[in-house]
Amino acid sequence: MNYMPGTASLIDDIDKKHLVLLRDGRTLIGFLRSIDQFANLVFHQTVERIHVGKKFGDIPRGIFIVRGENVVLLGEIDIDKLCDNVLQQVSIEEILEEQRLQQQAKQKTEKAKVTALKDRGLSIPKADNLDEY
Amino acid sequence: MFRFQSLDEDCTLEKEEGLVEEEDEIDQFNDDTFGDGAIDDDWQEEHKRLAELEERKNDGLGGLGLGGLGMRGMGGDSSTVQLPPPASRVPHPSSLPPPHHSLSSMPPLGLEEMGGGDLAESLAMLILGADPAIASVGGPAGPGDRSTGLPPPPSMPQQHHHPSQLPSHHQLTLSGLPPGPLHPSLLSYQQHQHLLRRGGAPMPQMNSHNIWENNMGFGPVSVTPGLITQMEDSPLLSIIKEVGLPNRPPPVMSEDGRDLSERAPPPRSSSPVIGSPPVRAVPIGTPPKQPMSHAMNHQQQIHHPTTVHVRAPVHHQHRYPPSFPERISPNTLLNMANSPLCRPPFPAGVGPVLSQIQRAQMLNSQVAGFPRGCQGPPLLPGGGGFRPFFGQPPPHRMGPHHNHIPCPIIRHNTTHLHPQHRRMLTQRMQSRGGERGGRVGDWRSRDPYSNLMTQREKEWVAKIQMMQLQSTDPYLDDYYYQNYFEKMEKRQERDRDGVRKEHTTKLITPQVAKLEHTYRPVQFAGSLGKLTVSSVNNPRKMIDTVVTSRTDDEEKREKQVWNKRRQILYTVEKMYSLLLEVQDFEKRFMQTPEEQREALLEQHKTHTLQLYASLKEKEWDDRVSDEQCLLIMSVRKGKRLISRLIPFLPPLQAATVVMGIARNLTALAKKDKQDQALCWLVEPVAVVISSLSSAALTDLLQELQGSEGQLSKVLQNKFGVTLLYLILSEGERMQSSDLNCQLMDDNRWTELVFSVTRELLNVPPSSLSPPLFTPPNLLSLFSRYVDRQRLELLQEKLQISALSR
Repeated sequence: MNYMPGTASLIDDIDKKHLVLLRDGRTLIGFLRSIDQFANLVFHQTVERIHVGKKFGDIPRGIFIVRGENVVLLGEIDIDKLCDNVLQQVSIEEILEEQRLQQQAKQKTEKAKVTALKDRGLSIPKADNLDEY
Repeated sequence: MFRFQSLDEDCTLEKEEGLVEEEDEIDQFNDDTFGDGAIDDDWQEEHKRLAELEERKNDGLGGLGLGGLGMRGMGGDSSTVQLPPPASRVPHPSSLPPPHHSLSSMPPLGLEEMGGGDLAESLAMLILGADPAIASVGGPAGPGDRSTGLPPPPSMPQQHHHPSQLPSHHQLTLSGLPPGPLHPSLLSYQQHQHLLRRGGAPMPQMNSHNIWENNMGFGPVSVTPGLITQMEDSPLLSIIKEVGLPNRPPPVMSEDGRDLSERAPPPRSSSPVIGSPPVRAVPIGTPPKQPMSHAMNHQQQIHHPTTVHVRAPVHHQHRYPPSFPERISPNTLLNMANSPLCRPPFPAGVGPVLSQIQRAQMLNSQVAGFPRGCQGPPLLPGGGGFRPFFGQPPPHRMGPHHNHIPCPIIRHNTTHLHPQHRRMLTQRMQSRGGERGGRVGDWRSRDPYSNLMTQREKEWVAKIQMMQLQSTDPYLDDYYYQNYFEKMEKRQERDRDGVRKEHTTKLITPQVAKLEHTYRPVQFAGSLGKLTVSSVNNPRKMIDTVVTSRTDDEEKREKQVWNKRRQILYTVEKMYSLLLEVQDFEKRFMQTPEEQREALLEQHKTHTLQLYASLKEKEWDDRVSDEQCLLIMSVRKGKRLISRLIPFLPPLQAATVVMGIARNLTALAKKDKQDQALCWLVEPVAVVISSLSSAALTDLLQELQGSEGQLSKVLQNKFGVTLLYLILSEGERMQSSDLNCQLMDDNRWTELVFSVTRELLNVPPSSLSPPLFTPPNLLSLFSRYVDRQRLELLQEKLQISALSR
């Protein structure tokens, strides 16, 4: 607000802890150290947080530089309000395992759906989330 | 102890001053080229510092710092100074990594100079050299490097040879400088006096007793030049000078300064070239250079002409140093601007800086006044252009500094914020600033990694983002915004019943003048072209289009020429289509059934007639229109056309065509210099000739010889020669085959042949064009008319082989 009144700017967010959601679905938490005009972000002491159900796991990643176009949303984290009752932190291996299971389950259901539709003669094109050609 | 500088050192210093300029330039270029800090060593130091920070967190510190410091300070110098226990009490200037380059410049000399005299001095120098936060020397290391940086402490006790430079540093603020233990109190009295005179002093963080006893307390302070670069800190500095620095109690030292949270973050600096010309044309993609204190430069120039190349020790966050607390560790003070404990990290109240244009356009200075004096960013006269609005500072921060320094700079965000809007924002910010600042600021001050992004960089990003909003016509670009605030103002005015009329009526409608930045490629003298640098704003020119305007006359003439040609081509095309039809007649004839054949035949005849009609003269049937013929034949296609046409014409008409050709051969030959196209005519013409009667032949020959000198020209043309030979051979054939040939009856033939032979003999061989073929019976022809001698000559010339007929 200081720098660009009436506009949205990331300058005031610098050196604060943020959570950023990327286009590929990853969630990063870290201290926002630097920005530029494209909203490229430099995160410090970054942690990738994987959420599966009520559990989450943190993978420390170090320094991240995120290209601005890949950011979905970005929000400041209140440091004081860190601990969360609802979510339960687990180890990295466990959360990765959980994630894998979740992916598997999802794929199964997806497949089942597609076959069901095919049997009925319908085909729904798969939504492409990744914008990759 | 006070060894005066040797003479040569003096000289080097003076020499250095001249060199400084170049260094500035070079450095500036480097920075521009490679971006911010690319050739900067400081980031390495900083990185190491941070890395060490991490290490230290893990291992715990030993007496590593200073010991290492001591070693590094020597720069590998042999003369190691024993660091006594007091040294260990020096707070670790937050993990000083070995700053090689900067150290090497200073300490060795100093140490040599001092000869290990005063411990304080040496240590002071070491620390100062080691800690870039305090003072770092830019430029090449070496003895000559004195003046470019901190005036090295060892030379302290030396002459004041360079009062010109150093007093300038009085201007420089102290911001990164811990006022307490660093400054005069650390120096012995005499040294301090020298310093004062010279205006510069290193401020080592020493805690030596003999140092402390000379604590100047609130006396005038000499300030390390290396610490200060910012214009914006000058009020602070002057305040300090007036008021003096608070007395720094030794106990702070005894803490070892291990308070990591207060440790100064690694200063990020590159060369703030004081005295360098302001950079005006910085492409948008360039990250900001580290503190470029142009304003500084200007100020200095007023007072001190020489420039000093100084490294900014700290990012210029040090705008609003808090009122000096009792216990400020040196690092905190170094860190002063980093996050003043009671404010949001990025100082509000730094107003935007006007570009010259904006200032010029300003009608009214609606400055949200800075109650605390001018604490804004340096005024960049030419460089900044637009600066975003930075709101207002909390008004009560710098109590002691109130009203000491008038705000010299008027800051405006003239282009975008409606004044009403700005007012609202200011109010909002003020209300928010207090509540937010406390907690956050505290936390920030403990974050050693904070402010990696300097103020400049933030401004730069903001500037880029705001530049997109620049408009020359705010009503056009942002209609609703303007209207909204106008309405709001009107409403307010209504509510207040015009109490504050002066505010509302004076509306600034600032507009940015649209500057035409056309890129003019640079051309060096004597070079063959222009050096073109293409960038986003100046994309490479693929085609260099130049508008050439022709005069009317030329245009008319050109048009006429083109029109004529077009006409000819058109005619040719038409004739061609007819011709093709004629040519295809046979085929079609075969294909059509009997009934329609007659019709087809009729059609065919008409076509042929038409063809001829287009060629012939208007009135006379037996002459081909010369003009027309010429026109058509002037085009290659036309020649081809004629050649294809002739076979289809009835013999009489064909003969006339050939006559026409012969008649105009010179003109045709001129246009057909290469003889390529005309030669197509040979065949059909030959056919025609062979069917000619003798009279016609004679006529033809006569036509060929038509005017004076025509024959010679004809002879130059391949086709002409061939034609001639054809005629002659035909004549010969006639004569030889038909005894009753009428050719001889008419004298014309003989005469003509005579003239031909004459011409043939006279014409130089070079201009005689070789014919397409030489009919064999020419020789016999000539033998009839010429005598032996000439015959032989002719033979030679024409290379006619003597063939017996």
